[in-house]
Amino acid sequence: MVSVMEKYFDISYVWTALPSLLPFLQVTLFVSSITILSGTFLGLILTIFKLSHNKLLNKIGNGYTTIIRCTPSIVLLFLVYYGIPKLAEEFNLNLQNINTAIFVIITFTLQFAAIMSEVIRSAYQSIDKGQYEAAVSVGLSPFQAYWRIIFPQALVIALPNFGNGIIAVLQEGALAYTIGFIDIVGKANLMITNNINAHALEIYIALAIIYWALSLLIEKFFGILEKTFSKGKKTLETT
Amino acid sequence: MSQGLNYEFLIDTFFVALSGISITLLVTVISLIIALPLGFLLAITRINRIPVIQRIAQIYVSFVRGTPIIIQIFIIYSSIPLILKAFFDKYNIQLDIYKINPIWYALIIFSFSTTALLIEVFRSALGTVKKEQLEAAYSVGLTTFQAYRRIIIQQVLVVALPNLCTTTVNLIKATSLGYAMSLPEITLNAKVAANMGYNYVEAYLDIFIIYLILCMAVEYIFKVLEKRLSKYKMANA
Repeated sequence: MVSVMEKYFDISYVWTALPSLLPFLQVTLFVSSITILSGTFLGLILTIFKLSHNKLLNKIGNGYTTIIRCTPSIVLLFLVYYGIPKLAEEFNLNLQNINTAIFVIITFTLQFAAIMSEVIRSAYQSIDKGQYEAAVSVGLSPFQAYWRIIFPQALVIALPNFGNGIIAVLQEGALAYTIGFIDIVGKANLMITNNINAHALEIYIALAIIYWALSLLIEKFFGILEKTFSKGKKTLETT
Repeated sequence: MSQGLNYEFLIDTFFVALSGISITLLVTVISLIIALPLGFLLAITRINRIPVIQRIAQIYVSFVRGTPIIIQIFIIYSSIPLILKAFFDKYNIQLDIYKINPIWYALIIFSFSTTALLIEVFRSALGTVKKEQLEAAYSVGLTTFQAYRRIIIQQVLVVALPNLCTTTVNLIKATSLGYAMSLPEITLNAKVAANMGYNYVEAYLDIFIIYLILCMAVEYIFKVLEKRLSKYKMANA
């Protein structure tokens, strides 16, 4: 068994593949960062929709989340990739030569916004209404009450889910290669094509290691953040 | 390229894509049937801190949650033929590994990842059941197996249902990646149809609608189930 395996599988190739893959992690991280920023912003707007007293806005906010939750990333990615240029064509705009990164960012922003709207909504709703009333009653303006009293408390509650959302969007982003985007997965597939399919398994294992390490790092980072922010909460309680 | 949407193609492809729904559902249901008991058993090993197994389960869960499913598919899809080839060569089995139906790969991959996700679902659900429940069951003379079957599992299921729903919906969505192993499910069928006339937008609109209906139906079923099960719980309380 070993003799046959050796011909096709060479574990040391995993370590030689890593240095060629790692520079492309920048691309993945860059696209993810923009996605997270714009997705959080759009998610905030969606949360406002969901919490508003307007029934129509409520329906839009909740409907959007349901639709995105039920759509596989790859379907959304291709809808955006083929659909937006086609839509633009109707308005005589030519988007055929636009950078694929734009489509990747749009797709995952749409997705991350749905995740974030739920994260922000549940964190906001977990804060007791009395907190806001107490803040206003001591003379804070509504903006100050939100910024100084509600936001710091909601942030601590939202942090773990925020971290999970980031990991999720990073993983879904691995599909960007399907529209020809050269991020770390795209690079891996290029390497495999150049090798005429040899050592595919080793390169994929290298990819898995990179993603795994990244996810663990993010998890750890958010764990530390949560601890730091909850510490502030405790001192507040004791004083 | 034609202007606007090709409605005739839109409708035709809808049914082509729909023909893949049976494969999608088959893979989803069988993966769940395999993953549910496995996930539950491994969750119990985590809860009871059984030395070696719980450590392995922990790493397994961490790996599945830490890596994109598409990369898990790449790894399993390219490693199984290697392992099988070595195995077949050793025992002189005359079987062409490249003629294996992709559905077998799909089942292995999706049960592999779903099991890991369910371990976490059941672990958190088991955590909500009080230890006294098991002790009370022992004190009236039930064996461990009976206690779990009659007392614990019912309670765990009610708590786990919302997360089970999420896992099922995610599994259905993940099967859309079956194209990577040429599994003729919804997405691949639509893709093939679209390639002939470059009608990509229409094809993806079709599968978008199909997945939407499918996932909403699953969410509805789970909602009904949850209502029924929690009613049952109230009656017993």
